Amino acid sequence: MQILPFYLLCDESGSMTGEPIDAINGALPDLHHEISTNPTVADKTRFCLIGFSDTATVLQPLVDLSDIDEVPGLAAGGLTSYGEAFRTLRNSIEADVAALKTQGHEVYRPVAFFLSDGIPTDHAWEQAYKELSASRYCPKIIAFGIGEAEESVIAQVANFRAFMQQDSSVSPAQALREFASSLTRSIVRSAATMAADGGNGFTLAVDDTVPGFSTVSLDKL
Amino acid sequence: MTADDGADVALGSLRLGGRMGDGGQGEVFDVEGPGRLLYKSYREPHKVAADRLAHLVDLRQQLTGADRDRLDREAAWPLCRVVDGGRVTGFLMRRAPDAMTWRDARGDARLTELSYLLRAPKAAWRAVPQPSPSERFALVLAVVELFDRMHSLGLVVGDVSQANVLWTVHPGPAVHLLDCDGVRLAGRPPVLTQADTPDWHDPMALPGAVTVDSDRYKVALVIGRVLAQDAYAAPGRPLTLLAGVLDDRREAAVRALWQQAAGPRGGRPHLGQWRAALAGRRTIKLMAAQPAPRPEVDRTKLDGPRRRGRISLRD
Repeated sequence: MQILPFYLLCDESGSMTGEPIDAINGALPDLHHEISTNPTVADKTRFCLIGFSDTATVLQPLVDLSDIDEVPGLAAGGLTSYGEAFRTLRNSIEADVAALKTQGHEVYRPVAFFLSDGIPTDHAWEQAYKELSASRYCPKIIAFGIGEAEESVIAQVANFRAFMQQDSSVSPAQALREFASSLTRSIVRSAATMAADGGNGFTLAVDDTVPGFSTVSLDKL
Repeated sequence: MTADDGADVALGSLRLGGRMGDGGQGEVFDVEGPGRLLYKSYREPHKVAADRLAHLVDLRQQLTGADRDRLDREAAWPLCRVVDGGRVTGFLMRRAPDAMTWRDARGDARLTELSYLLRAPKAAWRAVPQPSPSERFALVLAVVELFDRMHSLGLVVGDVSQANVLWTVHPGPAVHLLDCDGVRLAGRPPVLTQADTPDWHDPMALPGAVTVDSDRYKVALVIGRVLAQDAYAAPGRPLTLLAGVLDDRREAAVRALWQQAAGPRGGRPHLGQWRAALAGRRTIKLMAAQPAPRPEVDRTKLDGPRRRGRISLRD
Protein backbone atom coordinates (compact mmCIF):
# COMPACT_ATOMS: atom_id res chain seq x y z
CA MET A 1 0.00 0.00 0.00
CA GLN A 2 1.17 3.48 -0.87
CA ILE A 3 1.03 5.73 2.22
CA LEU A 4 1.07 9.53 2.54
CA PRO A 5 2.10 10.64 6.07
CA PHE A 6 0.90 14.00 7.40
CA TYR A 7 2.62 15.75 10.33
CA LEU A 8 1.01 18.59 12.26
CA LEU A 9 3.64 20.69 14.03
CA CYS A 10 1.80 22.97 16.35
CA ASP A 11 3.19 25.81 18.43
CA GLU A 12 2.08 25.40 22.05
CA SER A 13 4.18 28.15 23.54
CA GLY A 14 2.80 30.35 26.33
CA SER A 15 1.38 32.89 23.88
CA MET A 16 -1.01 30.26 22.54
CA THR A 17 -2.77 30.13 25.92
CA GLY A 18 -6.54 30.41 25.91
CA GLU A 19 -8.57 30.69 22.72
CA PRO A 20 -5.83 29.75 20.24
CA ILE A 21 -4.91 26.47 21.91
CA ASP A 22 -8.58 25.73 22.57
CA ALA A 23 -9.36 26.32 18.90
CA ILE A 24 -6.77 23.79 17.77
CA ASN A 25 -7.76 21.24 20.41
CA GLY A 26 -11.39 21.77 19.42
CA ALA A 27 -10.62 21.23 15.74
CA LEU A 28 -8.75 17.94 16.19
CA PRO A 29 -11.95 15.90 16.73
CA ASP A 30 -13.35 17.39 13.49
CA LEU A 31 -10.25 16.35 11.59
CA HIS A 32 -10.36 12.89 13.13
CA HIS A 33 -14.07 12.53 12.43
CA GLU A 34 -13.78 13.53 8.79
CA ILE A 35 -10.91 11.17 8.04
CA SER A 36 -11.66 8.18 10.25
CA THR A 37 -15.15 7.74 8.76
CA ASN A 38 -13.76 7.79 5.23
CA PRO A 39 -12.02 4.40 4.98
CA THR A 40 -10.38 5.11 1.65
CA VAL A 41 -8.69 8.23 3.02
CA ALA A 42 -7.78 6.55 6.31
CA ASP A 43 -6.20 3.59 4.48
CA LYS A 44 -3.80 5.73 2.53
CA THR A 45 -2.83 8.44 4.97
CA ARG A 46 -1.28 8.58 8.43
CA PHE A 47 -1.32 11.42 10.93
CA CYS A 48 1.16 12.56 13.56
CA LEU A 49 0.80 15.45 16.04
CA ILE A 50 3.86 17.23 17.39
CA GLY A 51 3.54 20.08 19.90
CA PHE A 52 6.49 22.41 20.39
CA SER A 53 7.46 25.14 22.84
CA ASP A 54 10.78 24.93 24.80
CA THR A 55 10.94 21.37 23.63
CA ALA A 56 9.00 19.38 21.09
CA THR A 57 6.87 16.36 21.95
CA VAL A 58 5.34 13.74 19.71
CA LEU A 59 1.84 13.88 21.19
CA GLN A 60 0.33 11.42 18.75
CA PRO A 61 2.76 9.10 17.01
CA LEU A 62 2.03 8.49 13.35
CA VAL A 63 -1.24 6.56 13.17
CA ASP A 64 -4.14 5.49 10.97
CA LEU A 65 -6.76 7.90 12.35
CA SER A 66 -9.45 5.26 12.22
CA ASP A 67 -7.47 3.26 14.79
CA ILE A 68 -7.63 5.84 17.61
CA ASP A 69 -10.40 7.13 19.85
CA GLU A 70 -8.52 9.92 21.60
CA VAL A 71 -5.50 12.11 21.14
CA PRO A 72 -3.38 14.00 23.71
CA GLY A 73 -4.31 17.67 23.70
CA LEU A 74 -2.01 20.60 23.18
CA ALA A 75 -1.15 22.54 26.35
CA ALA A 76 0.35 26.01 26.22
CA GLY A 77 3.47 27.09 28.10
CA GLY A 78 7.09 28.05 27.54
CA LEU A 79 9.00 29.58 24.67
CA THR A 80 9.08 28.86 20.94
CA SER A 81 11.89 26.57 19.87
CA TYR A 82 11.62 25.98 16.14
CA GLY A 83 14.89 24.05 16.29
CA GLU A 84 13.39 21.44 18.62
CA ALA A 85 10.36 21.18 16.35
CA PHE A 86 12.41 20.51 13.23
CA ARG A 87 14.72 18.02 14.98
CA THR A 88 11.79 16.10 16.37
CA LEU A 89 10.05 16.14 12.99
CA ARG A 90 13.15 14.83 11.26
CA ASN A 91 13.69 12.04 13.80
CA SER A 92 10.02 11.04 13.69
CA ILE A 93 9.95 10.92 9.91
CA GLU A 94 13.10 8.79 9.74
CA ALA A 95 11.68 6.27 12.20
CA ASP A 96 8.15 6.33 10.77
CA VAL A 97 9.19 5.82 7.15
CA ALA A 98 11.39 2.89 8.19
CA ALA A 99 8.52 1.37 10.20
CA LEU A 100 6.02 1.75 7.33
CA LYS A 101 8.46 0.13 4.93
CA THR A 102 8.95 -2.75 7.34
CA GLN A 103 5.19 -3.27 7.25
CA GLY A 104 5.45 -3.64 3.48
CA HIS A 105 4.19 -0.17 2.57
CA GLU A 106 5.65 2.27 0.15
CA VAL A 107 5.81 5.83 1.41
CA TYR A 108 5.29 9.13 -0.37
CA ARG A 109 7.28 12.14 0.70
CA PRO A 110 5.70 13.26 3.99
CA VAL A 111 3.74 16.47 4.31
CA ALA A 112 4.18 18.76 7.32
CA PHE A 113 1.71 21.46 8.34
CA PHE A 114 3.63 23.90 10.54
CA LEU A 115 1.79 26.41 12.70
CA SER A 116 3.29 29.13 14.87
CA ASP A 117 2.08 32.29 16.57
CA GLY A 118 5.46 33.79 17.24
CA ILE A 119 9.04 34.22 16.22
CA PRO A 120 11.54 31.50 17.11
CA THR A 121 13.18 32.09 20.49
CA ASP A 122 16.09 29.75 19.80
CA HIS A 123 19.04 30.91 17.73
CA ALA A 124 20.14 27.62 16.25
CA TRP A 125 16.81 26.80 14.58
CA GLU A 126 18.14 27.48 11.09
CA GLN A 127 20.76 24.78 11.51
CA ALA A 128 18.04 22.27 12.52
CA TYR A 129 15.96 23.39 9.54
CA LYS A 130 18.93 22.89 7.21
CA GLU A 131 19.41 19.38 8.53
CA LEU A 132 15.75 18.64 8.01
CA SER A 133 15.89 20.03 4.47
CA ALA A 134 18.96 17.99 3.69
CA SER A 135 17.54 14.79 5.13
CA ARG A 136 16.55 11.91 2.90
CA TYR A 137 12.82 12.21 3.56
CA CYS A 138 12.58 15.98 3.81
CA PRO A 139 8.86 16.73 3.98
CA LYS A 140 6.87 19.18 1.94
CA ILE A 141 6.21 21.98 4.44
CA ILE A 142 3.15 24.18 4.48
CA ALA A 143 3.64 26.93 7.07
CA PHE A 144 0.97 29.05 8.74
CA GLY A 145 1.69 32.12 10.84
CA ILE A 146 -0.75 33.74 13.24
CA GLY A 147 -0.49 36.42 15.92
CA GLU A 148 3.08 37.60 16.34
CA ALA A 149 4.58 35.28 13.74
CA GLU A 150 6.84 36.97 11.24
CA GLU A 151 6.04 36.65 7.57
CA SER A 152 9.65 36.35 6.45
CA VAL A 153 10.28 33.52 8.93
CA ILE A 154 7.11 31.66 7.94
CA ALA A 155 8.14 32.00 4.29
CA GLN A 156 11.57 30.67 5.18
CA VAL A 157 10.12 27.63 6.95
CA ALA A 158 7.75 26.72 4.13
CA ASN A 159 8.98 24.92 1.06
CA PHE A 160 5.58 24.34 -0.53
CA ARG A 161 3.15 27.05 0.54
CA ALA A 162 2.91 29.69 3.28
CA PHE A 163 0.03 31.63 4.81
CA MET A 164 -0.18 34.55 7.24
CA GLN A 165 -3.20 35.47 9.31
CA GLN A 166 -4.91 38.55 7.95
CA ASP A 167 -4.70 41.49 10.33
CA SER A 168 -7.61 42.06 12.68
CA SER A 169 -10.24 40.80 10.22
CA VAL A 170 -10.27 37.42 11.98
CA SER A 171 -9.35 36.30 15.46
CA PRO A 172 -6.51 33.81 15.95
CA ALA A 173 -9.11 31.22 17.01
CA GLN A 174 -11.12 31.69 13.79
CA ALA A 175 -7.94 31.54 11.74
CA LEU A 176 -6.93 28.33 13.50
CA ARG A 177 -10.26 26.68 12.75
CA GLU A 178 -9.75 27.56 9.09
CA PHE A 179 -6.21 26.23 9.33
CA ALA A 180 -7.49 22.89 10.65
CA SER A 181 -10.17 22.71 7.94
CA SER A 182 -7.56 23.37 5.31
CA LEU A 183 -5.40 20.57 6.72
CA THR A 184 -8.37 18.19 6.68
CA ARG A 185 -9.23 19.11 3.08
CA SER A 186 -5.64 18.60 2.10
CA ILE A 187 -5.59 15.08 3.55
CA VAL A 188 -8.94 14.10 2.01
CA ARG A 189 -8.29 15.57 -1.43
CA SER A 190 -4.73 14.30 -1.68
CA ALA A 191 -5.84 10.79 -0.74
CA ALA A 192 -8.56 10.93 -3.39
CA THR A 193 -5.89 11.13 -6.09
CA MET A 194 -3.81 8.23 -4.74
CA ALA A 195 -3.91 4.66 -5.97
CA ALA A 196 -3.01 1.93 -3.49
CA ASP A 197 -0.37 0.56 -5.85
CA GLY A 198 1.17 3.94 -6.57
CA GLY A 199 -0.26 4.16 -10.08
CA ASN A 200 0.60 7.55 -11.52
CA GLY A 201 1.64 9.06 -8.20
CA PHE A 202 -0.60 11.61 -6.59
CA THR A 203 -1.27 15.31 -6.40
CA LEU A 204 -0.63 17.04 -3.08
CA ALA A 205 -3.79 19.09 -2.73
CA VAL A 206 -3.21 22.22 -0.65
CA ASP A 207 -5.57 25.18 -0.74
CA ASP A 208 -4.26 28.11 -2.76
CA THR A 209 -6.07 30.42 -0.39
CA VAL A 210 -7.31 29.85 3.15
CA PRO A 211 -10.05 32.06 4.62
CA GLY A 212 -8.59 34.41 7.22
CA PHE A 213 -5.08 34.06 5.79
CA SER A 214 -3.16 35.74 3.04
CA THR A 215 -0.97 33.58 0.86
CA VAL A 216 2.72 34.37 1.22
CA SER A 217 4.83 34.38 -1.89
CA LEU A 218 7.63 31.83 -1.83
CA ASP A 219 9.77 33.54 -4.41
CA LYS A 220 12.84 31.86 -3.02
CA LEU A 221 11.73 28.71 -4.83
CA MET B 1 -43.11 21.73 -9.90
CA THR B 2 -42.80 18.08 -10.76
CA ALA B 3 -39.63 16.40 -11.81
CA ASP B 4 -41.39 13.25 -12.87
CA ASP B 5 -42.49 14.26 -16.37
CA GLY B 6 -38.88 14.87 -17.43
CA ALA B 7 -39.49 18.44 -18.59
CA ASP B 8 -36.75 21.00 -17.92
CA VAL B 9 -37.13 22.89 -14.64
CA ALA B 10 -36.06 26.50 -14.12
CA LEU B 11 -33.36 26.97 -11.48
CA GLY B 12 -35.27 29.96 -10.15
CA SER B 13 -38.29 27.78 -9.34
CA LEU B 14 -36.30 25.59 -6.96
CA ARG B 15 -36.09 26.26 -3.25
CA LEU B 16 -32.63 25.00 -2.46
CA GLY B 17 -31.73 23.79 1.01
CA GLY B 18 -28.37 22.86 2.45
CA ARG B 19 -25.40 21.59 0.50
CA MET B 20 -25.33 17.81 0.77
CA GLY B 21 -22.16 17.03 -1.11
CA ASP B 22 -19.24 18.45 -2.98
CA GLY B 23 -17.59 16.54 -5.78
CA GLY B 24 -15.11 17.32 -8.48
CA GLN B 25 -17.73 18.18 -11.08
CA GLY B 26 -20.28 19.94 -8.96
CA GLU B 27 -22.19 20.30 -5.73
CA VAL B 28 -25.36 18.59 -4.56
CA PHE B 29 -28.09 20.55 -2.79
CA ASP B 30 -31.23 19.51 -1.00
CA VAL B 31 -34.40 20.71 -2.75
CA GLU B 32 -37.11 21.82 -0.36
CA GLY B 33 -40.59 20.52 -1.01
CA PRO B 34 -42.06 17.14 -1.85
CA GLY B 35 -40.34 14.29 -3.63
CA ARG B 36 -37.10 13.99 -1.63
CA LEU B 37 -35.23 15.63 -4.47
CA LEU B 38 -31.63 16.72 -4.81
CA TYR B 39 -30.14 19.18 -7.25
CA LYS B 40 -26.71 18.53 -8.73
CA SER B 41 -25.25 21.82 -9.80
CA TYR B 42 -22.39 21.65 -12.29
CA ARG B 43 -19.34 23.70 -11.49
CA GLU B 44 -18.66 24.30 -15.19
CA PRO B 45 -22.05 24.27 -16.96
CA HIS B 46 -20.49 25.36 -20.25
CA LYS B 47 -18.72 22.00 -20.45
CA VAL B 48 -21.93 20.00 -20.01
CA ALA B 49 -23.30 18.13 -23.05
CA ALA B 50 -26.91 19.15 -22.44
CA ASP B 51 -28.33 16.89 -25.16
CA ARG B 52 -26.72 13.81 -23.63
CA LEU B 53 -28.23 14.68 -20.28
CA ALA B 54 -31.57 14.94 -22.10
CA HIS B 55 -31.00 11.43 -23.51
CA LEU B 56 -30.65 10.05 -19.99
CA VAL B 57 -33.83 11.83 -18.88
CA ASP B 58 -35.68 10.54 -21.97
CA LEU B 59 -34.47 7.02 -21.42
CA ARG B 60 -36.19 6.96 -18.03
CA GLN B 61 -39.34 8.50 -19.48
CA GLN B 62 -39.52 5.73 -22.06
CA LEU B 63 -39.49 3.00 -19.44
CA THR B 64 -42.84 1.64 -18.40
CA GLY B 65 -44.15 1.44 -14.84
CA ALA B 66 -42.31 -1.45 -13.20
CA ASP B 67 -39.07 -0.86 -15.08
CA ARG B 68 -39.08 2.82 -14.24
CA ASP B 69 -39.83 2.09 -10.59
CA ARG B 70 -36.95 -0.32 -10.48
CA LEU B 71 -34.56 2.24 -12.03
CA ASP B 72 -35.67 4.81 -9.48
CA ARG B 73 -35.16 2.31 -6.69
CA GLU B 74 -31.71 1.27 -7.86
CA ALA B 75 -30.20 4.49 -9.18
CA ALA B 76 -30.11 8.23 -8.50
CA TRP B 77 -31.13 8.78 -12.13
CA PRO B 78 -31.42 12.27 -13.66
CA LEU B 79 -35.16 12.99 -13.52
CA CYS B 80 -35.05 16.28 -15.40
CA ARG B 81 -32.58 18.95 -16.38
CA VAL B 82 -32.34 22.24 -14.51
CA VAL B 83 -31.93 25.31 -16.69
CA ASP B 84 -31.05 28.91 -16.02
CA GLY B 85 -31.21 31.52 -18.74
CA GLY B 86 -31.17 28.94 -21.51
CA ARG B 87 -28.20 27.04 -20.11
CA VAL B 88 -28.35 23.65 -18.43
CA THR B 89 -26.87 24.08 -14.95
CA GLY B 90 -27.56 20.63 -13.52
CA PHE B 91 -30.31 18.12 -12.91
CA LEU B 92 -32.69 16.83 -10.29
CA MET B 93 -32.47 13.35 -8.83
CA ARG B 94 -33.98 11.47 -5.93
CA ARG B 95 -32.25 11.18 -2.61
CA ALA B 96 -30.81 7.76 -1.78
CA PRO B 97 -33.11 5.56 0.32
CA ASP B 98 -32.93 6.28 4.06
CA ALA B 99 -31.93 2.67 4.65
CA MET B 100 -28.69 3.44 2.80
CA THR B 101 -27.52 6.01 5.31
CA TRP B 102 -26.00 5.60 8.76
CA ARG B 103 -25.53 7.94 11.70
CA ASP B 104 -21.98 8.69 12.75
CA ALA B 105 -20.89 9.36 16.32
CA ARG B 106 -22.06 12.97 15.99
CA GLY B 107 -25.47 12.00 14.71
CA ASP B 108 -24.79 13.16 11.15
CA ALA B 109 -26.33 11.07 8.37
CA ARG B 110 -23.72 9.53 6.09
CA LEU B 111 -24.17 7.47 2.95
CA THR B 112 -23.56 3.75 3.33
CA GLU B 113 -21.00 3.45 0.59
CA LEU B 114 -19.48 0.32 -0.84
CA SER B 115 -16.23 1.21 0.97
CA TYR B 116 -17.69 -0.08 4.23
CA LEU B 117 -17.94 -3.55 2.71
CA LEU B 118 -14.32 -3.60 1.61
CA ARG B 119 -12.37 -3.76 4.84
CA ALA B 120 -12.73 -5.06 8.38
CA PRO B 121 -14.93 -2.70 10.42
CA LYS B 122 -13.23 0.16 12.27
CA ALA B 123 -14.39 1.83 15.48
CA ALA B 124 -15.05 5.11 13.69
CA TRP B 125 -17.82 3.54 11.59
CA ARG B 126 -19.05 0.86 13.93
CA ALA B 127 -22.60 2.14 13.39
CA VAL B 128 -22.60 0.71 9.86
CA PRO B 129 -24.35 -2.65 10.24
CA GLN B 130 -22.15 -5.30 8.69
CA PRO B 131 -23.87 -7.92 6.53
CA SER B 132 -23.86 -11.62 7.31
CA PRO B 133 -22.03 -13.80 4.77
CA SER B 134 -25.30 -14.64 3.03
CA GLU B 135 -26.31 -10.96 2.91
CA ARG B 136 -22.89 -10.09 1.52
CA PHE B 137 -23.46 -12.67 -1.19
CA ALA B 138 -26.90 -11.21 -1.91
CA LEU B 139 -25.42 -7.71 -2.23
CA VAL B 140 -22.93 -8.94 -4.81
CA LEU B 141 -25.75 -10.55 -6.74
CA ALA B 142 -27.72 -7.29 -6.59
CA VAL B 143 -24.78 -5.39 -8.09
CA VAL B 144 -24.48 -7.94 -10.91
CA GLU B 145 -28.20 -7.70 -11.66
CA LEU B 146 -28.11 -3.90 -11.60
CA PHE B 147 -25.26 -3.75 -14.12
CA ASP B 148 -26.91 -6.45 -16.21
CA ARG B 149 -30.01 -4.25 -16.49
CA MET B 150 -27.92 -1.21 -17.35
CA HIS B 151 -26.18 -3.09 -20.12
CA SER B 152 -29.43 -4.48 -21.44
CA LEU B 153 -30.66 -0.88 -21.73
CA GLY B 154 -27.65 -0.19 -23.97
CA LEU B 155 -25.85 1.78 -21.26
CA VAL B 156 -22.30 1.83 -19.97
CA VAL B 157 -21.85 2.91 -16.35
CA GLY B 158 -18.25 4.14 -16.66
CA ASP B 159 -16.91 5.20 -13.29
CA VAL B 160 -17.54 2.53 -10.66
CA SER B 161 -15.98 3.06 -7.26
CA GLN B 162 -16.22 2.54 -3.52
CA ALA B 163 -18.14 5.81 -3.28
CA ASN B 164 -20.82 5.53 -5.95
CA VAL B 165 -22.50 2.27 -5.03
CA LEU B 166 -24.64 2.37 -1.88
CA TRP B 167 -26.04 -0.66 -0.09
CA THR B 168 -28.21 -1.82 2.74
CA VAL B 169 -29.36 -5.08 4.28
CA HIS B 170 -32.54 -3.60 5.80
CA PRO B 171 -35.21 -4.63 5.14
CA GLY B 172 -33.37 -6.80 2.61
CA PRO B 173 -30.12 -6.62 0.66
CA ALA B 174 -30.29 -3.87 -1.98
CA VAL B 175 -27.90 -1.57 -3.82
CA HIS B 176 -28.21 1.91 -5.30
CA LEU B 177 -26.05 3.56 -7.96
CA LEU B 178 -24.98 7.20 -7.59
CA ASP B 179 -23.44 9.66 -10.06
CA CYS B 180 -25.68 8.43 -12.85
CA ASP B 181 -24.91 11.41 -15.07
CA GLY B 182 -21.66 9.54 -15.72
CA VAL B 183 -23.67 6.73 -17.36
CA ARG B 184 -23.70 6.96 -21.14
CA LEU B 185 -25.19 5.19 -24.12
CA ALA B 186 -22.67 2.57 -25.27
CA GLY B 187 -20.32 4.10 -27.80
CA ARG B 188 -21.29 7.69 -26.98
CA PRO B 189 -19.45 10.22 -24.83
CA PRO B 190 -20.83 11.07 -21.37
CA VAL B 191 -22.48 14.29 -20.17
CA LEU B 192 -19.12 15.41 -18.79
CA THR B 193 -15.71 13.86 -19.29
CA GLN B 194 -14.89 11.88 -16.23
CA ALA B 195 -11.75 10.34 -14.83
CA ASP B 196 -11.71 6.90 -13.27
CA THR B 197 -11.40 6.69 -9.50
CA PRO B 198 -7.92 5.58 -8.41
CA ASP B 199 -7.82 1.82 -7.68
CA TRP B 200 -10.87 1.32 -9.94
CA HIS B 201 -9.45 1.67 -13.42
CA ASP B 202 -9.28 -1.05 -16.00
CA PRO B 203 -5.57 -1.60 -16.67
CA MET B 204 -6.27 -2.99 -20.14
CA ALA B 205 -8.63 -0.26 -21.32
CA LEU B 206 -7.40 2.24 -23.86
CA PRO B 207 -6.81 5.59 -22.16
CA GLY B 208 -10.10 7.40 -21.79
CA ALA B 209 -12.07 4.53 -23.30
CA VAL B 210 -15.18 3.45 -21.41
CA THR B 211 -16.83 0.34 -22.76
CA VAL B 212 -19.13 -2.48 -21.78
CA ASP B 213 -15.95 -4.51 -21.36
CA SER B 214 -14.43 -2.01 -18.91
CA ASP B 215 -17.71 -2.07 -16.99
CA ARG B 216 -17.42 -5.86 -16.83
CA TYR B 217 -13.91 -5.52 -15.42
CA LYS B 218 -15.16 -3.12 -12.75
CA VAL B 219 -18.04 -5.41 -11.81
CA ALA B 220 -15.43 -8.14 -11.34
CA LEU B 221 -13.61 -5.75 -8.99
CA VAL B 222 -16.80 -5.17 -6.99
CA ILE B 223 -17.54 -8.89 -6.77
CA GLY B 224 -14.01 -9.89 -5.74
CA ARG B 225 -13.55 -7.00 -3.34
CA VAL B 226 -16.88 -7.45 -1.56
CA LEU B 227 -16.57 -11.22 -1.29
CA ALA B 228 -12.98 -10.94 -0.05
CA GLN B 229 -13.59 -7.81 2.08
CA ASP B 230 -10.49 -6.41 0.43
CA ALA B 231 -10.57 -2.89 -1.02
CA TYR B 232 -7.60 -3.49 -3.28
CA ALA B 233 -8.12 -7.03 -4.63
CA ALA B 234 -7.81 -7.22 -8.41
CA PRO B 235 -8.10 -9.97 -11.03
CA GLY B 236 -4.77 -11.60 -11.63
CA ARG B 237 -3.95 -11.49 -7.94
CA PRO B 238 -4.96 -14.14 -5.40
CA LEU B 239 -8.48 -13.84 -4.05
CA THR B 240 -8.93 -14.64 -0.36
CA LEU B 241 -12.67 -15.02 0.12
CA LEU B 242 -14.40 -14.40 3.43
CA ALA B 243 -15.55 -17.57 5.13
CA GLY B 244 -19.10 -18.61 4.42
CA VAL B 245 -19.90 -16.29 1.50
CA LEU B 246 -19.75 -18.96 -1.21
CA ASP B 247 -20.22 -22.72 -1.28
CA ASP B 248 -17.64 -24.87 -3.06
CA ARG B 249 -19.40 -24.90 -6.41
CA ARG B 250 -19.92 -21.13 -6.47
CA GLU B 251 -16.39 -20.52 -5.25
CA ALA B 252 -14.90 -22.56 -8.07
CA ALA B 253 -17.06 -20.75 -10.63
CA VAL B 254 -16.25 -17.30 -9.20
CA ARG B 255 -12.53 -18.02 -9.09
CA ALA B 256 -12.57 -19.09 -12.73
CA LEU B 257 -14.30 -15.86 -13.79
CA TRP B 258 -12.00 -13.78 -11.55
CA GLN B 259 -9.10 -15.28 -13.47
CA GLN B 260 -10.82 -14.63 -16.79
CA ALA B 261 -11.38 -10.97 -15.84
CA ALA B 262 -7.60 -10.52 -15.72
CA GLY B 263 -7.47 -11.39 -19.39
CA PRO B 264 -7.32 -9.13 -22.39
CA ARG B 265 -9.80 -6.44 -23.29
CA GLY B 266 -12.91 -7.82 -24.88
CA GLY B 267 -12.81 -11.13 -23.02
CA ARG B 268 -14.00 -10.16 -19.56
CA PRO B 269 -16.84 -12.29 -18.18
CA HIS B 270 -20.21 -10.78 -19.02
CA LEU B 271 -22.89 -10.28 -16.44
CA GLY B 272 -24.75 -13.43 -17.47
CA GLN B 273 -21.65 -15.47 -16.71
CA TRP B 274 -21.40 -13.94 -13.25
CA ARG B 275 -25.09 -14.61 -12.65
CA ALA B 276 -24.64 -18.23 -13.61
CA ALA B 277 -21.53 -18.55 -11.41
CA LEU B 278 -23.30 -16.98 -8.44
CA ALA B 279 -26.41 -19.07 -9.02
CA GLY B 280 -24.28 -22.11 -8.29
CA ARG B 281 -25.83 -24.25 -10.96
CA ARG B 282 -24.13 -27.42 -11.89
CA THR B 283 -22.48 -26.95 -15.25
CA ILE B 284 -22.66 -29.53 -17.98
CA LYS B 285 -19.53 -29.97 -19.98
CA LEU B 286 -20.39 -29.63 -23.65
CA MET B 287 -18.29 -31.38 -26.25
CA ALA B 288 -17.85 -29.51 -29.47
CA ALA B 289 -19.27 -31.56 -32.36
CA GLN B 290 -16.52 -33.34 -34.27
CA PRO B 291 -16.49 -32.56 -37.99
CA ALA B 292 -17.28 -35.54 -40.20
CA PRO B 293 -14.10 -37.18 -41.53
CA ARG B 294 -13.28 -36.04 -45.00
CA PRO B 295 -13.78 -38.75 -47.62
CA GLU B 296 -10.73 -40.18 -49.17
CA VAL B 297 -10.16 -38.65 -52.55
CA ASP B 298 -9.43 -40.96 -55.44
CA ARG B 299 -6.93 -38.81 -57.31
CA THR B 300 -6.91 -41.17 -60.30
CA LYS B 301 -10.48 -40.17 -61.04
CA LEU B 302 -9.87 -36.46 -60.67
CA ASP B 303 -6.45 -35.86 -62.06
CA GLY B 304 -6.63 -37.79 -65.36
CA PRO B 305 -6.07 -36.12 -68.74
CA ARG B 306 -8.95 -33.95 -69.86
CA ARG B 307 -10.75 -34.65 -73.09
CA ARG B 308 -12.67 -31.59 -74.02
CA GLY B 309 -13.68 -32.48 -77.54
CA ARG B 310 -15.39 -29.88 -79.65
CA ILE B 311 -19.02 -28.95 -79.69
CA SER B 312 -20.52 -28.11 -83.01
CA LEU B 313 -22.68 -25.01 -82.87
CA ARG B 314 -24.30 -25.67 -86.21
CA ASP B 315 -26.98 -28.15 -86.96
